[in-house]
Amino acid sequence: MEYPRNHRKIVDELMSGKFILPIEQHYEVLKENEEFYIDFFKISFNYDLKFTQHYVYLVSDESAEMLSRDMCIFFAVLSYELDRDGKNFLERIQYTEFELDELENYFINSSYIDLIQSNKQLKDADARKNFINTLNRRNILEKIGDNRILFTSAHKFFMDFASDIVKFENVEE
Amino acid sequence: MKAEPRTVLRFLLEYFDIVKDLFDAQTRDNIITYEVMNEITSKHKMDVKIQLLEYKIISNVAENYQFRPVFANLIEFILSEFKPMLPETIEKYHVSIGELFRKIRENINGDRVILNQRISELSNEINNFYESVEKNTLALLNETRELKANVKKVDYREKIIRASRWIDEYIIPLNKILDLNHSTSLTTKLYEVSEYTNRYRLNFDDEGTRIQFEKLYFSLIQVNDNLLRQSKILTNELLPLIERIRTESIILSGWINFLKAPHKKKVPKILEVKRNYIYSKDTFFNAAEFFDAFKNDADVYIEDEEYADEKWIFDKQHYKDKLQENMPVLDFFKWCNKTLKEDYKKVEIEKFFALTSLAFEEDLQLEYPAKAEFDKIKINELTLTVPKITINKHGIS
Repeated sequence: MEYPRNHRKIVDELMSGKFILPIEQHYEVLKENEEFYIDFFKISFNYDLKFTQHYVYLVSDESAEMLSRDMCIFFAVLSYELDRDGKNFLERIQYTEFELDELENYFINSSYIDLIQSNKQLKDADARKNFINTLNRRNILEKIGDNRILFTSAHKFFMDFASDIVKFENVEE
Repeated sequence: MKAEPRTVLRFLLEYFDIVKDLFDAQTRDNIITYEVMNEITSKHKMDVKIQLLEYKIISNVAENYQFRPVFANLIEFILSEFKPMLPETIEKYHVSIGELFRKIRENINGDRVILNQRISELSNEINNFYESVEKNTLALLNETRELKANVKKVDYREKIIRASRWIDEYIIPLNKILDLNHSTSLTTKLYEVSEYTNRYRLNFDDEGTRIQFEKLYFSLIQVNDNLLRQSKILTNELLPLIERIRTESIILSGWINFLKAPHKKKVPKILEVKRNYIYSKDTFFNAAEFFDAFKNDADVYIEDEEYADEKWIFDKQHYKDKLQENMPVLDFFKWCNKTLKEDYKKVEIEKFFALTSLAFEEDLQLEYPAKAEFDKIKINELTLTVPKITINKHGIS
C-alpha cells in the first residue's frame, strides 16, 4: 500500500499534539487526503481528526484538560490585558510579534494576578517561559530568536472557544 | 407675524449654545420636555422660549417642545451630527423616484409643463436620496468609530448588541439598496433612469425639456459616482470595522465570562500525548520499527584479521603450581619474566602483571633483603624497575 507524502511526519506531529497549519507543506497533503486520514486515526487510535481552514488537530477521548485550561487562561488574560491597554487584541495576536518582556509585563500587571499566581504553569516568569515552550511544541506559537514570539493561526482554536462561550450562553438564555 | 429672516439668523447665531443644548436633548430623548427646556434656559440664564416659538424654530407638542424639521435638519447639517436613519426611511425614495420615472415615460409626449415639472422633481428626489445615504454612511461611521474607541465605556455585551444591530438593521439593508448587482435595488433603478435620460437629452423636439433632461443626466452621473463611493465605504470600511468590533467583543465577553470561574468551565479538548514506557505494549513495535529503519538489505562482508589475537586468560592455578615446583624462588620478578618467556613467544605486559599478582596470594611468604635491591626487567619495549623479592617454601600451606 502506498501512503501519502510526508505520512510519517503528519502522524508524528499530530500524535505529539501539534496543530498543523495551512502555511506548512504537509497541511496540503492532509487536505488532499482528508478522508483517508480521518479514517486512519479513527480506526488506528480511535482519535478524531478535526479540520478547519486555520489548523488541523487530533482529539482523543482522554483530553489534556489541565493543559487546555491553562492555555485558555493564558489567552484570556492576554486578550483582556491587551484590550485594557487600548490595543486591538485580535489584530495584535494575529499579526504582530511579541517580545517576551512585553508579555511578562502584561502578566505581572494583570488584574487577574491572583489567578495567575495560583496556576502552576503561569505562576512566575520561569513557569511562563516553560509554558511558552509548551505552546511552541504544540505549534501554537513560533519562537523568533531568544526573546520574541509570533502566534500561529492555531491561536484561533482558543478564540473560537471564547466566542462559543457567548453563543452557547445566548442559546441557554 | 412673519419674522424678518436676518433676525432669525442673528438669533440663531447669538443663542446657538442654548439651541445646541436643546438640539442635543431632542436627539437624545426625541423631544424637549418642559422640564428640560427650563433646565437649559436656567443654565444659560436666558429665557428664549418665546422667541424660539415666535421664529418658528420649535413648536409645541402638548406641554413639550420639538424642533421644526427644517431647523432640525439645518442644525444637524451644521453640526454634522446625523443620527443613522433606518433603511426603510431611505427605501421610500424607491417609490417616489420609481413613480415619477414611470409617469415621465408614460407621458413623454404629454403636457410639457408637467413633464418638465416631473423631471425637476425627479432630480430633487434623487438628490434627497443621495443626501440621506451620505448622511447615513457618515452617521454610521461616526457611531462605529466612537464604539471602537469606546469613549462612553460601553460594556462588551452592549457593544455586541449595538454592532449586531447596525450590521443587521442598517448596513446590510442599506447595501442592498445600493447593490448594483441586484435588479430591484434603487441604484439599478437610477442607472435605468440615467440611460433613458441620456437618450432624450439628445433626442427630444422641445429644447427646454432637452435641457431639463441634460441637467438630470449630469446630476445622475454625479450621484451614481457618489453612491458607488458610499457603497465602497460601507463594504470596504464600515462593514469590516463593525464586524471586527462584534467579533472582538464576542471573544472578549467570552474570556471575561471564562475568567470568572476558569476551573468550572468546560474547556476545548486537546490531545493527551502519551509517553512510551519501556513496558508498554507499543515498545516491541516501536523497537521493531526502529531496527527496521536501520536494516540494511545489502550483504555486508567482514574480513577476519589475519592474526586475530585470542583472548588470553590467566590460569592462576597453573602458575601457582609452577611457582611451588620452583621454590625457593630467589628473585620473584625475574622468575615471572623467565616463566612467561618459556611459555610464550611474545610476552605482553598484561601477562606479566597477571603473573606478578601471585605475590599477593595469602599462602605465600615474601622475604625482602635488609637493604632494598632493585632489578631491571625488559618486557618488549618497556623496562620495569622491580624490587628483589624472595619466596621461600616456608609458609605454603
